[in-house]
Amino acid sequence: MGADLFEVSVNLVKMIIIFVMMVQLVPLLVWVERRGSAFIQNRLGPNRVGPLGLTQLLADAVKFIFKEEFVPEKTKRFLFYAAPVVSLVPAAIAFGAIPLSLPINIEQFEMFGSTFGPYRFAFQSFEVGIGIVFVLGISSLGAYSMLMAGWSSNNKYSLLGALRSCAQMISYELALGLSIVGILLLYGTFDFATMIDAQQGPLTFMLLGKEVSVPFLPNWGIFYQPLGAILFFTAVFAETNRTPFDLPEAEAELVAGYHTEYSGLKMNMFYIGEYGHMMAASALMAVFYFGGYDIPFLSPDSVRETFLGWGLSANKAAIATAFLFHVSMFAKILFFLWVFIWVRWTIPRFRYDQLMDLGWKTMLPWALANTIITAIVIYIMRTNWS
Amino acid sequence: MDVSILLFYGLATIIVFFALAVVISDNPIYSALYLAITMVTLAFVYFLLKAFFIAGVQLIVYAGAVMVLFVMVMMMFDLKKEKNSFSKGKFANFIKVGSAGWLCGLIFASIMLSKGMLPLANTNTPQAVADTSTKELAILLYTDYIFAFELLGLLLLLIAVGAVAVSRIKGGTHE
Repeated sequence: MGADLFEVSVNLVKMIIIFVMMVQLVPLLVWVERRGSAFIQNRLGPNRVGPLGLTQLLADAVKFIFKEEFVPEKTKRFLFYAAPVVSLVPAAIAFGAIPLSLPINIEQFEMFGSTFGPYRFAFQSFEVGIGIVFVLGISSLGAYSMLMAGWSSNNKYSLLGALRSCAQMISYELALGLSIVGILLLYGTFDFATMIDAQQGPLTFMLLGKEVSVPFLPNWGIFYQPLGAILFFTAVFAETNRTPFDLPEAEAELVAGYHTEYSGLKMNMFYIGEYGHMMAASALMAVFYFGGYDIPFLSPDSVRETFLGWGLSANKAAIATAFLFHVSMFAKILFFLWVFIWVRWTIPRFRYDQLMDLGWKTMLPWALANTIITAIVIYIMRTNWS
Repeated sequence: MDVSILLFYGLATIIVFFALAVVISDNPIYSALYLAITMVTLAFVYFLLKAFFIAGVQLIVYAGAVMVLFVMVMMMFDLKKEKNSFSKGKFANFIKVGSAGWLCGLIFASIMLSKGMLPLANTNTPQAVADTSTKELAILLYTDYIFAFELLGLLLLLIAVGAVAVSRIKGGTHE
């Protein structure tokens, strides 16, 4: 947590801010989803409450809080109440482990008559050395929330939705895990920060033992692993239960799937869990394939120099740089979140057998092939043949 | 006292409590969910021991996939008959009490017999296994232990073939 009181308190505040950021993004995303779907379907969407319908969010929140808390009879009480929490917690933990910007290096400074520092604050809730494995492991726990909700509701639609969602999540977890092996081989690390560092600068790679550089392209993972990126993004859609993989909720068949019996704030927590998973997935997509917080053709050191040149102190320059790069990361996350919404309102739902076929017979073999070919190509390219 | 020791005792208490609940609970679905909690907590104990890769794999494989499958399959079946046959009857009770007593005796005897055989360790946690441990683990696994590793792969293949063979047998409790 930290060596002294200042570091510990900053780390705690940071954790809370990142969690609140995640939760507060949800109403905005709901608004974007409703307005965006209206835009895609040539409708107007909610535009009556406030400017552009923005205060609709507030009205929704108030509605969620003050709605009657209805629990049907013969539910398994404890599991029924626990399921929304189990849905929210893994998403929050997974999002907290992803770096959202450069670490901030604070030099020694004086405050309240005593000296503090130097410190290094990572721009994330907490750092885990095995980043990817941790995030995948934690977010795979989200399946329990659906199972618990579906089974404890004592409702056939809920149970069917939960079972379907679970089968889907387990099937696509394999493709998800295999699709990022290529990127792991490429960067040789599980750590997000090291991975993002490796993606700075112009596109540079080894061609048969010689270093080749393409100055007009950024050094992003997408140029090495285009197939991996597509497989990863598709699998992530299935993991977050978004259309075209929204079988657990399929309104036409299952009422609302595993959360049929939920209302009010408990329902809202499922929403936060789902959008939290989407945010974590978008952040992972940015980190693996789009350089994380990297801004093309702009290195963190040169930005810091510029800020120092404007007369900022070293600490303020470090903070300003981190926030500038955070804006870049956040823009990428928002872009992928928009893609999530865009796809949802463009592509219809798969049938269950089509979904399983896609997962097991298409994506898994392609991911395996991608892994093997990447390994062979990396070996050939990095060997010095001359 | 060190925070990590405090954390360890907290996690160990949770593990023991939920492991007991797995056995004691008479509803198989609750048992499976308790087992899932045990697995997740065990992963955090691995984190505490700085065995990060094992912890992550424990989360992904056991907590995230295997237990989810267990819970899912149990929810699909109507387990009333099994529940009764396992939780009622003199024979079942005798087996339960007998095996619990046997286990307690084994633990007690092993503690009694092994006391004084091994010197207490001086170091608290193995500090050497930091970030590089995954690579070292992989190198060990694919050089020194390659035979055992391949054998495990063979075992998994056998299980897969066996599962397919068993699934083709008609009859049993769920026809």
